[in-house]
Amino acid sequence: MNTRATESPGFRQAVESLVPRIRLTLETAREVVRRPSALAGGILLLLILMASVSFPVLYHTDPLAQDLLARFTPPVWQSGGTWSHLLGTDNLGRDVLSRLLYGSRVSLLVGFTAVFVAELVGIVLGLISGYYGGKTDSFIMRIADIFMAYPFMLLTISVIAVLGPSILNLILVLGISDWVTYARTIRGSVLSLKRKEFVEASRAIGTHNIIIIIRHILPNVISPLLVLGTLRVANIIIWESGLSYLGMGAPPPMPTWGRMLAEGRVYIGDAWWLVTLPGLAIMFTILSINLLGDGLRDALDPRLINV
Amino acid sequence: MKKTYLLILAALMLICLFASPGVARDADTLIVVQESEPVGLDLMRSSLQNTMSVCYNIHDTLFFPQQDASIKPALAEKWEKLDDMTWKITLRKGITFHNGEPLNAKAVKFSLDRVFDPEIKCNHKGKLAAFKEIKVLDELSFEIKTARPFAPGLYMLGIYLPIVPPDYIKKVGNTKYNTNPVGCGPYKLAKWVRGESVILERYENYYGPKPYYRKVVFKTVPEATSRVAALLTGEVDVVSGIAVHQRKNILESGKAYLTSQMGVMPYLGINTYEPPFDDVRVRQAVNYAINRELINKALFNGKAILCNGPISPRTFGHAPDLKPYPFDPAKAKALIKEAGYPNGIEVRLAYPTYMSQIQEQAEAIAANLAEAGIKAKLEPFERAVMWQRYKGKKHQLFVYWWDDAPEPDRYMYSLFNSKSRDYYYKNETIDVLLDLGRTIIDRTERAKVYNEIDRILYKDSPWAYLYVIPEVFGVSNKVFYEGDRDGFLNMRWAKPKN
Amino acid sequence: MLQYILKRLWHTVYVIIGISMISFFFIHLSGDPVLLMLPGDASDQEIEELREQLGFNDPLYVQYVRFASKAIRGDFGESLYYHVPVMELVIERLPASLELAVAAMVFALVLAVPIGIISAVRRGSMLDMGSMLGALLGLSMPHFWLGIMLMLLFSVHLGWLPTSGRGTMAHLIMPAVSLGLSLMAMFARLTRSVMLEVLSLDYIRTARAKGLREEIVISKHALKNALIPLVTVAGMQFGFLIGGTVIIETVFAWPGLGRLVIQAIFSRDYPLVQAIVFVLSLLFVGMNLLVDILYVYLDPQISYSEEK
Repeated sequence: MNTRATESPGFRQAVESLVPRIRLTLETAREVVRRPSALAGGILLLLILMASVSFPVLYHTDPLAQDLLARFTPPVWQSGGTWSHLLGTDNLGRDVLSRLLYGSRVSLLVGFTAVFVAELVGIVLGLISGYYGGKTDSFIMRIADIFMAYPFMLLTISVIAVLGPSILNLILVLGISDWVTYARTIRGSVLSLKRKEFVEASRAIGTHNIIIIIRHILPNVISPLLVLGTLRVANIIIWESGLSYLGMGAPPPMPTWGRMLAEGRVYIGDAWWLVTLPGLAIMFTILSINLLGDGLRDALDPRLINV
Repeated sequence: MKKTYLLILAALMLICLFASPGVARDADTLIVVQESEPVGLDLMRSSLQNTMSVCYNIHDTLFFPQQDASIKPALAEKWEKLDDMTWKITLRKGITFHNGEPLNAKAVKFSLDRVFDPEIKCNHKGKLAAFKEIKVLDELSFEIKTARPFAPGLYMLGIYLPIVPPDYIKKVGNTKYNTNPVGCGPYKLAKWVRGESVILERYENYYGPKPYYRKVVFKTVPEATSRVAALLTGEVDVVSGIAVHQRKNILESGKAYLTSQMGVMPYLGINTYEPPFDDVRVRQAVNYAINRELINKALFNGKAILCNGPISPRTFGHAPDLKPYPFDPAKAKALIKEAGYPNGIEVRLAYPTYMSQIQEQAEAIAANLAEAGIKAKLEPFERAVMWQRYKGKKHQLFVYWWDDAPEPDRYMYSLFNSKSRDYYYKNETIDVLLDLGRTIIDRTERAKVYNEIDRILYKDSPWAYLYVIPEVFGVSNKVFYEGDRDGFLNMRWAKPKN
Repeated sequence: MLQYILKRLWHTVYVIIGISMISFFFIHLSGDPVLLMLPGDASDQEIEELREQLGFNDPLYVQYVRFASKAIRGDFGESLYYHVPVMELVIERLPASLELAVAAMVFALVLAVPIGIISAVRRGSMLDMGSMLGALLGLSMPHFWLGIMLMLLFSVHLGWLPTSGRGTMAHLIMPAVSLGLSLMAMFARLTRSVMLEVLSLDYIRTARAKGLREEIVISKHALKNALIPLVTVAGMQFGFLIGGTVIIETVFAWPGLGRLVIQAIFSRDYPLVQAIVFVLSLLFVGMNLLVDILYVYLDPQISYSEEK
């Protein structure tokens, strides 16, 4: 907490106030890296991200190229497998590995962006609610209750039924359905911070409310949000694959892991790899995120209850 | 405390391990599995395949429709043509409904009137629209009149007019009738546990040949793999909705066999009103671009029958001189260029997501089209939206399907006559021919008319003609069941195999 | 206390009204059921007539008021697809959904609590790390994928369990495990962390110093405190569970509300969707209320006494 910010804002102060924050970030990173599980998670996630970004360069096979006569080729280690299709082909002869890599983009993109949207909405509403209190607070919290009680899957399905399936709509829907947890967390932090001295002092000298919010309150609530957000990415990815499974996700021919699961489910008795591999991909991605998130949480605030 | 805990845990696990699926069942019970459960049990209120399947065990009609679109007597004992628009039909004596109510001509009249009752919103109204009225002559006979000569009339009656008990319906009302139906078929409803099963019991006073199985249970299993697994473990006897790739599993298992009669005919509809498909050359290009042979081989194990026109090759009236469009992407490209699109075209291909394997076909077709310079953007829609857009004339290319029925009028009229639907195509010559086709009574003459229709539509290409996929049922080795062209699971014909 | 309950009841009411308004809005926006109700060759005129008759041409708020005024009296109307009173359908399917949710919850709790306790007591051991890694794996798996994998192994390949449907205990196992595994992971982690916290508190040290047996220390003192957050989270999760059985029900053909509501949304069966959303949100909010009341009861009995 730096009290210097209560003086009239100037460029020098702004820079000076930045330094401890950078140091804090570096410390956190070191804490995270010290834990082997978090480190493992981080490395895995990094690998996945790298693979999904760079795969067109590394692995040339087109995820959309059909080869009807080569349908259901098993992975290379099974009899009938070939090296040209390392993880086999699907029901239209498309290469499974490249579809998995391509699909990682969608899942990761939707996962992180939706959480970003949700956090944005949540932060704004939570800040307003906590800071201004009173009727605004009650109103926003009531809306939050309604969103919480609405069965999540039903809400998302209903909205997609109206808007139509597309990546953008998916992100919007998942983001907007999930804001409540962030809002509540922020609101809680805001409520407790409001009474702290430096905030009162700021108010006393007449600093504009918004600046107070941004300069003082926000930095202190970032850490629980970060942890929460990281852990929620996992949930969002599972929900996205669930929606894709039900046919309401990103439309074909773009491969997404959820839809690969749905399409593969039909052939479960004959082509086990079509169902197992996308599921494993989802699982390991989420595992890495969870490991990282756990590490972050432990490093930032070990007293946050473990869920 | 820990010890008691562990004991409870162990006990729970033991219970779970030994709880086995109920395998013991009576030898005279037949278990049938479908992909979805019936919506109601009133045949007049649904046109869904799985619902109608169950209903046909409970309800009987005047005639038994045959595989070649002719009829045999059922409730009706004899009939004679008085003139081109009037038939006199006499019912068998002594038929009763499941509740004992007698079946008579008045009941038939009540049933036909009920079809047109606005409260019922009967889905089959259109098929029986030609019938004007019934005049009751005496207890067991009546005259039925059509407004115009209608060749498939009696056949349509045999499929779409179940005879229902007037007194019972008047007493319980239409809503209750939907869940507690009373018919005159070989089975009566014993119990319906919605979401689980429909239990039917043999009606001992049935007038016709008594079915072998005393009890028939219709269950619902939406997962295709689960259905097949249940068949192979002996849990169930008859299974519908077997996907192509599962067929060899069944055949190799030695525990069950496949029976197939009914077909499904998917087609690629084309919006002929708007460019680029307002030009017949572009439409024909679509037909040339699709590699039906390869799709058949890869997706259907070669079991599909290629279509050479809108009329199914298994139905009378299809023109035998027509051959399926050959796979010729070069010609397709040339035609498109000739029509004024030297750089190819970009179109949208819509398809519904609620039927399995449609997506696969759509994707394969899109890939074919791409090679011919037609870049098709895939648009999956759920059932409601697809239908809404269909009626709103919003599709450009779309995949839909029809049953491969033995009576050509049944679907040709509905699909191509502009009085019925003109959302994507309108052709006055075809309209006239279709009207003609249903009024000529003589079959050979009718066939000629339909041949002509087939040829015209082949050239005009309002559709890309694909193939007929025989739908199969899996049947346990202990049961003998053949199935019929309509694909309804009429269990009255099932019996044990020995 | 009474005041608190009344306040919470009022909260329940406005939440339910809010939800019913939102879902009404969405389902009506998503399309027109009339087209699906009539056969393919129905004329435009017939379609218009039916729309008029069912009142779909009136402005949305009018339609909502009409729905709400009947709903208050318990009349949610007739299903457009099944032609049966909607509440009948819901009540038919509700026990199946509840059975699944309860089974998943029981499975999760019965396994999670001891695992969490043992992990906390033997912190840092192989058992602890192993079970926590396992829990993390469980949390990372999409539950419907787990269901499919279980089906593949136990039904298709081994033939030990029936593939789908509802009936005997054997039918319940796979769906309940699929749903319950991630819950179990969550509860195990929660129990462990809460136990860790509690075990380090002063009064526990005092009890140990007094020479009480370890088991009594754990079960009587520590566990009671751990119960509070566990009950809270479990209660909330149960509410989510009820609304989240959709996909598992599809995979295992479980005849519950989840599958029914998906179908209803796909057929734009407005009255049915409204009724199901109403019941599900009622259950969720009711569960929360119960948990809150329980919380208040549990709280006064526990006394934290820290020497600081």
